[in-house]
Amino acid sequence: MEQLVESIAERVVNLVLDAIDINAIVSQVDMDALLAKVDVDAIVSKVDVDSLIDRVDVQKIIDRVDVDEIVNRVDVDQIVARVDVEAIIERVDVQAIIERVDVEQVIQRVDIDKLVEQTELGTIIAHSTSGVASEVLDVVRAQGVGLDDFVARWVNRVLRRSSEDWPPGPAKLVNPPVPVPALPLEATA
Amino acid sequence: MSTPPVTAAPPEAGRQGHYAGGVTRLVAFAADVGASWGIFTLALAGLSFAINLVTGNQVNLGSRQILALAGLVIWEFIYFAYQWSLGGKTIGMAVLGIRVVGRDGDAITPRQAIIRTITLPLSFLLFGLGFLGILLHKDRHAWHDRLARTVVVYSWDARAARLRWLAKQEPATPA
Repeated sequence: MEQLVESIAERVVNLVLDAIDINAIVSQVDMDALLAKVDVDAIVSKVDVDSLIDRVDVQKIIDRVDVDEIVNRVDVDQIVARVDVEAIIERVDVQAIIERVDVEQVIQRVDIDKLVEQTELGTIIAHSTSGVASEVLDVVRAQGVGLDDFVARWVNRVLRRSSEDWPPGPAKLVNPPVPVPALPLEATA
Repeated sequence: MSTPPVTAAPPEAGRQGHYAGGVTRLVAFAADVGASWGIFTLALAGLSFAINLVTGNQVNLGSRQILALAGLVIWEFIYFAYQWSLGGKTIGMAVLGIRVVGRDGDAITPRQAIIRTITLPLSFLLFGLGFLGILLHKDRHAWHDRLARTVVVYSWDARAARLRWLAKQEPATPA
């Protein structure tokens, strides 16, 4: 008996569904009005976001991202051009940076002897306190160098030779001329 | 044949490390001879005075020629060898802004300083023929330089001197 009722009910439902035009009904429904009645916030509040995130395999997503390609697509120049460097500099507390620098340590790393030897800093400092002496020294030395050149030029003339290709001094003391790199074509054009 | 000009102001190009010329070296050597002889004479006079003071006898060490000559030779050796081994320059060289270095530019060793001092008189032989190399050779070495494997270079910073010289010049008045 029960099976008979179920089969009849199933048959009736199928007949009704066949008779109904679902599309026609849906077209008559005002979806906007329906959605307006839905409380989305209430639905979202019921979702356990943490649980949802726990189920997401973030590592797998990251592995699938081609970071290099993304970076290549970024126009760094354009980003830098939009940066207000002046504003950034103004926000930097230079004094605080200087206070954090261990000046003593920096000075200890400087080879003072070499610095003085190469720049004649010591001589300059000494000269600054003895103006007349330094002036006399400079004049005597300059005259000496001038006479050296004078004599060398005369010797070269008498011997009919050129000393232009001679080394000016020991290799370790005389800096070789730094070769100037060729300019790119667009720069020379 | 026109006369090449003599530079009056400090040269524009820096000369540190360049081979020093003959005139500067000659003047520096003359200054060293004067300084060393002056110090020796003063020391001799001081020593004579001290002996007179202590013994009461009039002693003039300068009149004892062999002793004075031996003392002078030893003193000259110490004067040059010690100063060259210490910093590569003597008093005269420091004044003229030159110094002795090894051929490759390294600091002179005490051994090189001693060899250079001992062989220095050799360059005076045959009317100073040994010094001719300062004018003729490309690394401007004399005989004693060759034997000690040394060269003499400018240690004077001409650029700094030129800046000082320019700073002291009167500014040009606009026409």
